[in-house]
Amino acid sequence: MSLDAFIAERQGRWGALEAAIKAAKRGRLRNQSANDIERFGLLLRQTSSDLAIARRDHPDAPITEYLNTLCARAHPLLYRGNAWRLGAIGPFFATALPRSFRAAWPFMVASLALMAIGFIAGWLAVDLRPDLRVSLVPPSLFDEMARGQIGTGVQDAPVVGLDIIQNNIRVALICFAGGILLGIPTAFVLLSNGWMLGTVAAAVQLGGYDYQFWSLIVPHGVLELSVIVISGGTGLMLGNAILRPGQLRRGEALARVAVRAVLLALGVASLLIIAGTLEAFVSPSSLPDPVKLAVGAGVGLLLYSWLLLAGRTPQPGRAFAFDRPAETPA
Amino acid sequence: MNSSQLDTISVKTSDNVTLGYSVAGLGSRLVAQILDNLLAVPITLVAILLFSAVVGIFVTGADGAGYAAVGAGFFAFFVYFGYFFVAEAVTGGRTPGKSAMGLRVIRIDGSAADFAAIAVRNVIRIVDVLVVLIGIVVMFFQPQTRRLGDLGAGTIVVRDRAAVSLAAAVAPPPILLRTPDSGPPIDGLDRIGGFERDALRVFLSRPGLSPKLRADLAADIAKRLLDRLGLPPGAPERLWPPELFIERIYLQLDQRHP
Repeated sequence: MSLDAFIAERQGRWGALEAAIKAAKRGRLRNQSANDIERFGLLLRQTSSDLAIARRDHPDAPITEYLNTLCARAHPLLYRGNAWRLGAIGPFFATALPRSFRAAWPFMVASLALMAIGFIAGWLAVDLRPDLRVSLVPPSLFDEMARGQIGTGVQDAPVVGLDIIQNNIRVALICFAGGILLGIPTAFVLLSNGWMLGTVAAAVQLGGYDYQFWSLIVPHGVLELSVIVISGGTGLMLGNAILRPGQLRRGEALARVAVRAVLLALGVASLLIIAGTLEAFVSPSSLPDPVKLAVGAGVGLLLYSWLLLAGRTPQPGRAFAFDRPAETPA
Repeated sequence: MNSSQLDTISVKTSDNVTLGYSVAGLGSRLVAQILDNLLAVPITLVAILLFSAVVGIFVTGADGAGYAAVGAGFFAFFVYFGYFFVAEAVTGGRTPGKSAMGLRVIRIDGSAADFAAIAVRNVIRIVDVLVVLIGIVVMFFQPQTRRLGDLGAGTIVVRDRAAVSLAAAVAPPPILLRTPDSGPPIDGLDRIGGFERDALRVFLSRPGLSPKLRADLAADIAKRLLDRLGLPPGAPERLWPPELFIERIYLQLDQRHP
């Protein structure tokens, strides 16, 4: 077919596809009727077959470039992942998040181990070199404890709580994002958080304030440290995908892991709102120490029963192919 | 569309057709980034003022004021990075700045960037921006101008604008003829099909050929045409120079099938 005949015969559908692309709002076909979307698919398939013909027969003609651009613009409108819906949040927290947490358990263990190494190192530093205690631990902490000021509530608790929540979410996001730099910033955050906790814990232990100290840490700390460990784990997942991509190319391995890990990271980061509220209102409050410790234990119990148990029951009809009974020939 | 070209990526669709996407360059991406900042920075400033005003209600002492100032700093961080996240999620990868530059985020397989991919590239934006603008350095050396967030999310920023309009693509390019005279009829034109005619048109509409090259090409094409027409070689030189011969064949073909 000559170029002119080719164009004359088919340019109608190209114009129709172009009009349909223009009609798509915000890069989506969502506002269109079912018939329109079906027609869009038909037009795209026809036009991409025209593109294949044009590329074979008229590789240098401007129409080939035109058809390529047209198909390239239409393609992502039709081919896309799952749309983000408000209604998906419930099932995400109910099943998807705990499942992806459990699936990523080696990274969660590794992340916890990094924080534990930091903690032990910090503890040993204070324990072995008591002379360095002053430079390792803020002295104001001991002054406050000695004066018995801790546990009498914080002034402006809502403002302080907002700071804590924002800071911790920022740290959690950095833990994930740091994965792209081979997880080095992630490991640094985990080690340094463990170190800070270790130095203070050792100093407090040596100073004999331990019970009071733990009542100050535990109510929010169980949740807060768990979230930092989990988001640290997501960062380590990215670093691992880059360093050990397996059968895939590094970029592909990274992208596959990252789109799963990011939802886990964002999901647990949202828990920091609860942790920050506890840290501002419960931890420094004048509540009796046993109550504070019980709050921490309760939060921990809820958190880990959710992470470890939720979504374990497979949904009916979702069995894997090899679970199905073998078909018997009639 | 050559897949080895650096400024395009090739995507094979489910219809087994290869689409070429034109990759956005560093320049257009930086301009888009500046345009987005013209929105993001004022929005952030307004947000800081609102934050301080609202939080100020709860502040009772000097310590509280200090905490509120720190909190405003954190809030600025979230609003600034949140602008890009929300703008990309809502517009399907075309923030106002990208839209103005005719750019769009897609996944490397040609499908639209979904929520998870946009989340990844926008959380990693923190590293791209805050770690000494490492994103720009990576984009500079990455052949497809992807920043770290793009590498993590499996996304790429492409040009989303029509390069050629249908009207321009369909309009035949001007034919550079030396004479509009089609000359005496030539026998055997039935043997010349649509492909040869297209080839002649490409030759005749090609600007900027040096006279020597044009004459050489014309001689080569004329030889093939003579072969096809069944005329003895050397005939055009006797009739007309090869260039004129080609032009006349084209004109006569055009008269037959306009």
